[in-house]
Amino acid sequence: MKIHPRYYPAIIITAYVIFLLIGILLGFGPERGGAGHGRSALMQFTAALEGLT
Amino acid sequence: MTAVKPFSLAKSRRTIQWMVVIGTLVIGLRHIMPGEASRGGSFDSFCAFGGIETILPFLFTGHTLKSTNLLNFSVQLGTLGVSLVAGRAFCGWLCGLGAIQDFITQWTRKFIGEKRHIRGRQSTAIFPLRLPSILDHPLRYAKYLVLTVVLIASLFMAFPPLRDFCPVRAVFGLHMTALLWVTLAVFLAGSVLVERFWCKYLCPLGATLAIFNKLSPVRLVLDNHHCNGCGRCDIECSMGIADVPHHLDHPECVRCMECLNTCAVNGSLILIYEKEKK
Repeated sequence: MKIHPRYYPAIIITAYVIFLLIGILLGFGPERGGAGHGRSALMQFTAALEGLT
Repeated sequence: MTAVKPFSLAKSRRTIQWMVVIGTLVIGLRHIMPGEASRGGSFDSFCAFGGIETILPFLFTGHTLKSTNLLNFSVQLGTLGVSLVAGRAFCGWLCGLGAIQDFITQWTRKFIGEKRHIRGRQSTAIFPLRLPSILDHPLRYAKYLVLTVVLIASLFMAFPPLRDFCPVRAVFGLHMTALLWVTLAVFLAGSVLVERFWCKYLCPLGATLAIFNKLSPVRLVLDNHHCNGCGRCDIECSMGIADVPHHLDHPECVRCMECLNTCAVNGSLILIYEKEKK
């Protein structure tokens, strides 16, 4: 499907904003301070697998 | 009746680039204000590459590196989202460093004597140079080496590995150290000497996004019946890709669309959305 070049800037800005918002909605939002957080994703994944078995 | 101005992709890009540069400077400025440093995380937590720098430590330990935080992953996701849709368009349109390099190229040409750059015509200014391919080609792999080193080093470091040499912090951070002054000097000198010096040879984010040029559904295609091989697009390509019409999905392409903008024959280059490549 052909796209008119005038829509190109809107396409990339929209893609950026949508994916940025998805990230923030998933919980990857701004926070005070620097490093943080509890269990690693791998540890959580292992725990979830153990829970299933 | 007033005439409607024709749409200019180049002007849109310049406007967006200026907005990105000003926005990034505002973030930098905010973080040197008293009491503002910790609000929403440090300057680094807005970095598009910070998510990659801190992903391995986060996966293995559950902690992000110091000076980064979870926001880095969202910014990274935004960058990957653009790349999934339109390849390395982030580099060509939304990257602050890319914008600064484009401005430096423009200003250098003007300063050195080219009063007005005519689109599609070889610049009369000596700088920025185009390195000979014998040097240019191998140097382009350096960014993949930088990416590998950063990923490995991130597992053993408390702060992001590139933090002390990061050109984004040097240009926009406004919180300078001796190493950042050196980085700034190298970045500025490099950008004056070679167009998009950082993107071509050293940018690890560009190295990460390069693969998406082969996958993205929004891209340019060539209509062989229209293209007359004039080479105007080769001249305007800021990434120095040779024979642009036949390398539209080249991993080095930053999707700035200068080739489309410069093309003399209507319909030679067509912007399309296509899920599967033919």
